[in-house]
Amino acid sequence: MKFSTIVYLELYKVFRKPRTYIAFGAIAAIVGLIQLGFYADGKSYMQFGLQSFTDSFDINGNIMNGYLMAYIILQLMLVHVPLLIALVAGDMISGEAAQGTLRVLLTKPMSRATLIAGKFTASFIYTIALLIWMAIWALGISMMVFGVDDMLILKSDLVTQIVKSDVLWRYAAAFGFAALAMTTVAAMSFFLSLFAENSIGPIMATMSIIIVFTILNTLDLPIFDSVKPFLFTSHMLGWKGFFDVQINENNEQVVGSIENLPSVMISAGILLLHILGFLIASILVFRKKDVLS
Amino acid sequence: MILEVAHLKKKFGSFVAVDDLSFSVKAGEVYGFLGQNGAGKSTTIRMLLSLITPTSGSIQLFGKSINQHREEILNQVGAVVEKPDLYKYLTGYENLSLFAKMSGKAISKTEISNTLALVGLEKRCHDPVRVYSQGMKQRLGIAVALVHDPEFIILDEPTNGLDPQGIADIRNLILMLSKERKKTVLVSSHLLSEIEQIADSMLIINRGKKIVEGKVNELLNPNNVRLEIVVDDDMKAKQLIENTAWSKGLKHAPDGKIIVETEAAAVGLLNKMLVENQLNVTSLRSMNSLEAYFLSLTTGNEV
Repeated sequence: MKFSTIVYLELYKVFRKPRTYIAFGAIAAIVGLIQLGFYADGKSYMQFGLQSFTDSFDINGNIMNGYLMAYIILQLMLVHVPLLIALVAGDMISGEAAQGTLRVLLTKPMSRATLIAGKFTASFIYTIALLIWMAIWALGISMMVFGVDDMLILKSDLVTQIVKSDVLWRYAAAFGFAALAMTTVAAMSFFLSLFAENSIGPIMATMSIIIVFTILNTLDLPIFDSVKPFLFTSHMLGWKGFFDVQINENNEQVVGSIENLPSVMISAGILLLHILGFLIASILVFRKKDVLS
Repeated sequence: MILEVAHLKKKFGSFVAVDDLSFSVKAGEVYGFLGQNGAGKSTTIRMLLSLITPTSGSIQLFGKSINQHREEILNQVGAVVEKPDLYKYLTGYENLSLFAKMSGKAISKTEISNTLALVGLEKRCHDPVRVYSQGMKQRLGIAVALVHDPEFIILDEPTNGLDPQGIADIRNLILMLSKERKKTVLVSSHLLSEIEQIADSMLIINRGKKIVEGKVNELLNPNNVRLEIVVDDDMKAKQLIENTAWSKGLKHAPDGKIIVETEAAAVGLLNKMLVENQLNVTSLRSMNSLEAYFLSLTTGNEV
């Protein structure tokens, strides 16, 4: 059977399942709530955030604009989206095993490797669809509601200003990077789903691993320093790197630049390696798996 | 031969589910695969379909190894393994259409509708599977196995959970597939009377091992009968029967019943002899059904 047919049929199943739309609904609801909150109280929030700078600088214009909203939403959401990704990716094999349809599928003339690759591709497409949906809400609707201006990014000890003409491509890159990060989550959840006969296990295991790794990242203890660079969670927020702009010798921003591109590329590479690792491991495990469900 | 299985073995840890099983299925026959629950039927069927890997032994379908030619072979095989679980959120038609596409053959809408009609689901095919009865799910499962017009059909306990009418429908469907469409069918069941009515050949397994294989009509030779005899003095009856030429085998059960294998023509003479020897014959009945044969083999009470 053609690979494209398997992908098509897997996507057909994914998008016919009611649970698939929970994630889309959840993103729309959460982003909508954040936008509503900022629409109502955004100015006082920004005044509070910028109070340490307003004594020294005169800040004018539409600060609370769509670009900043999208940045705030991405920061808040990308920690929680893995759960929504795992909801579908973690169900890909285990859900079939729980329903008893895995054995029916495997009596059809297709190789197990092709089936796994097809299912994984469907998970990937779902992940991309979810991120596009998120981009529409977080960026598109925010731009419509809050307008467009230069983007201010508040960090703990500084504020970065990016001219509005230099922002959109950064979001495109950031969403591309987020797609890589979320696909890593999907790949791990997918791999875990090989070992379970219901989808709760892989979903819980995915979230547990993310929580444990995030805690390890947060703990500033030397014992964990050697493993931190290899944890995928250390690189999931690498999208922020696209909003760090290079400063030239005249202390001016270089439009279209990224301050530490190699670091972003290394993070992307590590995530890509995780994806490939999980995919290859999934194929190897599944090829030898006894289907007893 | 459509299927040749040689020295098949499957171990799960230290548990041997299937042990040195060999059998073969000829083209065009209905092959009954019998065994009590847990005998190893479904494990064997899963190995035939490469759902699980044998510990040792070989499986040849259409003259080719299932390990090396899996996809090519599965193209010609349709199967229902245990319960026919399908996607509950899809309709019967959508399920069948989806699995038809997975078969890798170009299957038209007309062929899908015809398959649904064949299993009697044409009127309910647009209902979601979640509202189907067990019998409807079973029939849809069989439709999934048949939709790509396979040469070899494997049905694992196809009458499970069906009412008497449903059982009769499946029996007729299997017979039609074999006689009219010249399909080869391997059907497993513990409903032995069903196998007796439809199978040309059969294999009986117990605890993963082959007990007997052969033509149903030869295994159930009408010239030989098994009699279960209940008399008031079973010891005396046993002695008398043992000393006759009619007895081809005798078992004295702990509950006093005597089971004798003899020729059909000798049944009357045997009864007459017992009566003439002042024995009160309470019961004398033939056990010559497959069920009796099966039970005598699988419970170790061989005559």
